[in-house]
Amino acid sequence: MGKSTTVGSRRLKIAFWGFVAPSVILFTIFFLVPLVLSIAFSFTDFDGWKTMNFIGLKNYINLFKDNNFWGALGRTFVYTLFSLPFKVIIPLLIAALLCSDRVVGKGFARTLVYIPVLLSSLVVGITINWMFSAEYGLVNYLITSLGGTRLEWALNPYLATFVISFASNWASTGFYMIIFIGGIKSISNDLYEAASIDGCTSTQTFLKITIPMLAPTTFLAVLLATVNLLKEYALVQGITQGGPGIKTVFIIQYIFDRGFNSMQYGYASAISFIVMIIFALIAYAQFKFSNGGGDN
Amino acid sequence: MKKVLIILALALLVVLPLTAGGNKEAKNPDTLRVLLSEEPSTGDAFTATLNKWAEETGKTLDIMVIPYDDQLTKFPLMARNNDLPDLIATTRLTRLYPEEFLDLTEYVNIDDFEEQAVMIIGQDYTTNKNYCLPYQFTITNVFYNKDAFEKAGITPPTVDDPWTLEEYRENAQILQEKGGVKYGMAMDNSRARYDNIMYMYGGSMVEKDGDSFKVAINGPGAIAALDMFVEWNNSVMPKAIWAGGTTDNPGDYFQNGDVGIYFSGTWNYNTFYQNIEGFEWGVIPSPVGPEGGSAILGGSGLAIPENAKNKELAIEFIKWFYNDTENFQYFLDRDKGLSSLKSVTYSPEDPQVVEDYKIMQAEVANVTEAFNVDESSSWRNYYDNEYRDALHQAVNGDMSAEKALTDFAEALSEKSGWPMAY
Repeated sequence: MGKSTTVGSRRLKIAFWGFVAPSVILFTIFFLVPLVLSIAFSFTDFDGWKTMNFIGLKNYINLFKDNNFWGALGRTFVYTLFSLPFKVIIPLLIAALLCSDRVVGKGFARTLVYIPVLLSSLVVGITINWMFSAEYGLVNYLITSLGGTRLEWALNPYLATFVISFASNWASTGFYMIIFIGGIKSISNDLYEAASIDGCTSTQTFLKITIPMLAPTTFLAVLLATVNLLKEYALVQGITQGGPGIKTVFIIQYIFDRGFNSMQYGYASAISFIVMIIFALIAYAQFKFSNGGGDN
Repeated sequence: MKKVLIILALALLVVLPLTAGGNKEAKNPDTLRVLLSEEPSTGDAFTATLNKWAEETGKTLDIMVIPYDDQLTKFPLMARNNDLPDLIATTRLTRLYPEEFLDLTEYVNIDDFEEQAVMIIGQDYTTNKNYCLPYQFTITNVFYNKDAFEKAGITPPTVDDPWTLEEYRENAQILQEKGGVKYGMAMDNSRARYDNIMYMYGGSMVEKDGDSFKVAINGPGAIAALDMFVEWNNSVMPKAIWAGGTTDNPGDYFQNGDVGIYFSGTWNYNTFYQNIEGFEWGVIPSPVGPEGGSAILGGSGLAIPENAKNKELAIEFIKWFYNDTENFQYFLDRDKGLSSLKSVTYSPEDPQVVEDYKIMQAEVANVTEAFNVDESSSWRNYYDNEYRDALHQAVNGDMSAEKALTDFAEALSEKSGWPMAY
């Protein structure tokens, strides 16, 4: 009896490590090792290839005196706060709509909304440029055709930020919609039947049943959307390249510029490390604030 | 558990051969791996020349494309992975990593080359070695929309009687009002194009200081130039380009007939010649500023990495390309640019091209000493995009020209260790 238990336990251990090992190996290679290297580089003047001298905390001291770093970080927060509600609310409303019994062609509509998720950021950038180009954009063409005045998408920093936000939302709505559809489908039908018997209107049902029951899903969507917005990079490069001036240079683009364009890998690593801590604190605060999306 | 192991083993069997066989071409001793900076368009002069060499010698080509800016990050990775191309078309790599490239003076006679081309493209001001041989030799110049000029009743300037900066500004305004174009002027979103204006005002990035340099980009000439440029952008230019908020190419605006005067360079001539059909266009002499004219030489060179697998093949191509002038002539006739070899010149048949070519060639005399000093300082090894960002911020109105340039000058001074001149 004891022997078979030992054999069973060993088999379980082997199975456990068999399943866990691929993740652990990949996590170590692609996350832990780069993280440790990045932290180590942040104490050097590494130029990406040949120069690497230990310079202590110099990069961190420079970072705290760097107005461009604070500017980029501030713009990233403003952009995230501005875009986050749209990132979550629009997919939620579309998901609710596409789960309704009264809507026809739901499968087709879901596919249509999801297609932009499949596009690369580069293609999204090209498409958005085609729509919002300063000179030959479709949107300005429509505005002027209707007798309006052209909007300076590329000159007004608010409009430029809006265009990036619009592109980001357009490209991700399908992804969050799928998450919300999964959440809505998991809500028990009994609750809706009870609400119906009690004479609740559709709006009341949505606000009093769907929204509260979706709390864990909403938390997940908010967390993912926040992190993705804070890390926005490819779209900015494809649409505004940080302009006008440097008004749409967000923090990841700033890190990229320092590291790859100015060959200041050490300094870029220091910024990355500080930014990682800030992002982790934001995620932690979200967990605490919403109790991880669970019941309070 | 067994199933999992079988699946993992099968996956490895599929993946391993793929990773091992990823670079078959590089192992072929008859294949020349060439790194270009942009996807060759139809009729591209250098690709046509490469193909001619391949046909004549029976060798094969493996062309890859990495833009100049990205080459700076990709090249170290390629070097570390021992996966270097055999021949590289580059603008900056040999300046940043000279020890990684072959000295090509052993294979060509450097006296056959135009001295300025070797100096500007080779960028080696301290040794007699040449790691980068010029092939595309370009100079800044100004294109104009002939139809718009005619419509606005403007007579274009000539080499003997060029316009001043003020005249350019005035005529751009007239073009915008009467010439049927949306913008009187446009300029490539490139630091080098703007710098011409700075040199015309007597500004410079640095000043010589014995064997070293002083940072001078916040001098009175440079500030006056940027102030004027900001005003141009607010009145007769598509401001979004130089405010940095768009990826639009002003060359497209010109080709679409929306711009009267376009500041660019000789590298666009062939493209315009092939593409523009809707209106007549030509070349006019660049303006003259308070301190004279200015033109900036540039271009691209060919380099061979020291550790390239087929570097002998690349050397063979270099000899074929430069030592047999017939082959360089073949390239130049298609490139329609300036020649970097003394004994080879471009002789166009189209009389209009002949006229335009004379004007472009005359720009060479406008290259300033300040530009040569700036180039010899290699200031871009310290900061480059930051200067462009400073110009963008001034044009966008985020800060004054003086503040933008002074902030940049201080940063450059700190990084380079050169003292401030102003």
